[in-house]
Amino acid sequence: MNGRAVANEFTKMRRLRVAPLVLIMVVGVVALTCVTFTAPGFLDSVDDPDARPWHWLLAGLALAVPLVSPILLAVLASRQVDMEHQGHGWLLNQVSGVTPGHLCRVKFLSMGALVAGATLAQSALVVALGRAVGISVDLPLGPWLGYTTAIIVVNLVLFALHLLVAARVPNQLVGLGLGVLGVFVTLAGTGMPLWSAHLLPPWGYYAVATPVDTDAGGVVALDPPYLSVLSLGIVGALVFLGVTRMFDRQET
Amino acid sequence: MNSFGRAQHNESVSNAIITHDLGKTYGDRPIVRNLDLRVPEGCVYGFLGPNGSGKSTTMKMLLSLVRPTSGEVHIMGRRMQRSTRRSILGGIGSLIEAPPAYGHLTGHENMRLVQRLLGLDQGQVQRAVRTVRLQEHLDKRVRDYSLGMKQRLGIALALAREPRILILDEPTNGLDPAGIEEMRRLLRYLAEQGITVMVSSHLLGEIDRTAQVLGILGNGRLLFQGSREQLFSRSTPDVLIDTAEPERATTLAARWSAVREGHSVRVPGVDQAATARLVSHLVQGGVPVHGVRRQEQSLEDVFMDLTGGRGL
Repeated sequence: MNGRAVANEFTKMRRLRVAPLVLIMVVGVVALTCVTFTAPGFLDSVDDPDARPWHWLLAGLALAVPLVSPILLAVLASRQVDMEHQGHGWLLNQVSGVTPGHLCRVKFLSMGALVAGATLAQSALVVALGRAVGISVDLPLGPWLGYTTAIIVVNLVLFALHLLVAARVPNQLVGLGLGVLGVFVTLAGTGMPLWSAHLLPPWGYYAVATPVDTDAGGVVALDPPYLSVLSLGIVGALVFLGVTRMFDRQET
Repeated sequence: MNSFGRAQHNESVSNAIITHDLGKTYGDRPIVRNLDLRVPEGCVYGFLGPNGSGKSTTMKMLLSLVRPTSGEVHIMGRRMQRSTRRSILGGIGSLIEAPPAYGHLTGHENMRLVQRLLGLDQGQVQRAVRTVRLQEHLDKRVRDYSLGMKQRLGIALALAREPRILILDEPTNGLDPAGIEEMRRLLRYLAEQGITVMVSSHLLGEIDRTAQVLGILGNGRLLFQGSREQLFSRSTPDVLIDTAEPERATTLAARWSAVREGHSVRVPGVDQAATARLVSHLVQGGVPVHGVRRQEQSLEDVFMDLTGGRGL
């Protein structure tokens, strides 16, 4: 049943402009990150390990992701759920044995796979473009993979949150408004001390996951609390399962 | 099997849907009370009632979309509960509240969704589409469909699983007269194919010529259940007496609560014996009686009588 339901979700994505939205999410983040290439002297020091060109790119990526992702995740979640409200899809699925909570979980699986793929693609494209402009120093694989994984977790938790809001509140302006608010919270989180960014889940965790910081004109590597991000993922999963189970028991 | 079990089994053989003491209460407000429905197999069952009488809630309970506060639902002899819900629903097609379909997809794509979800073959889908005569419009997006086409697509989505029972909640809402007539024909055709069709409406005209069995709901209670003929026999139509002296006839028949109506006298609530006595009394009183007839009643009159005149 799950496999068929997931396949149905991909069919339902037709004509919803999901592919362009996912593409904007990837291209937007990559383009903003590539602004780093225009920094004075960057292209002259691509082969200098002391200039840490990859860390500069990682800093650019960590700035671009929170600017682009929250609002687009809100839009994607809204697109996935609004059609169920408009087309009485909840009822159609329920009388076919797929309860509303089950449908939300299926939507998370299908769209979540695209979100995770897009996040992975952002990271990989930035690396590819870094190589293309001639960065020849070794890629700091640990921080890069750590950040990519952490951002996949934060993006998925945020997408799940928007999915629940969109399912609970038929007026999709509420979810989109929350997405816009999320961008501000995310930006505020980047300027906050680490402990206070923890208090704004899930948006604050874009800042928590940041692996580099700039200091006195240079870039320094940080040691992000990956355990916090893991905890966010676990709590997010439990809350999502709990709320969708509640949807399953709700009367139509 | 004990005697209760045997009785229930025997009932189940001929009734597609049975409810026992079914009830639903929201807070302290009862919506449906002590409902004992018996929907015979292979018939069109007209489920009538004014708006707000509990028809939709009842249908949702039959489909397990709403949990009953009390009572039981049996579908094709099996009790509807959490463990049996999915398999029972596989044999029920339904259209509740509004026709469901994704507007941005074509009719064909919508059918494909249900086909994939329920593991149906192409033949089942094609038969359902042919039944509602929608094959010419399957490549159009549903948002460009007329309401009638959306209703037909909704029924095709319900029929694709080749259900033994079809539950339709006000399927003619918003349809034009041609659409309503087409829906009537479709319901009769489905019943001829052996499908039990339960259809609700607050408009009697839609049900009057289609349903073989009627259930009438008022304030959440089942006021009547049976055939059209049984329903008419429950109500005694007024007697109309044509006479050249209506004024004197009205005075003479005052104890029968007679009322003058032009050149006739209307006498309510008199059975056949009382009618004979009334006529004899008038003739003995010297009133020239030209004719005696019963007021012809429509189903609507009987319905109004039962529901206290609400909701039409």
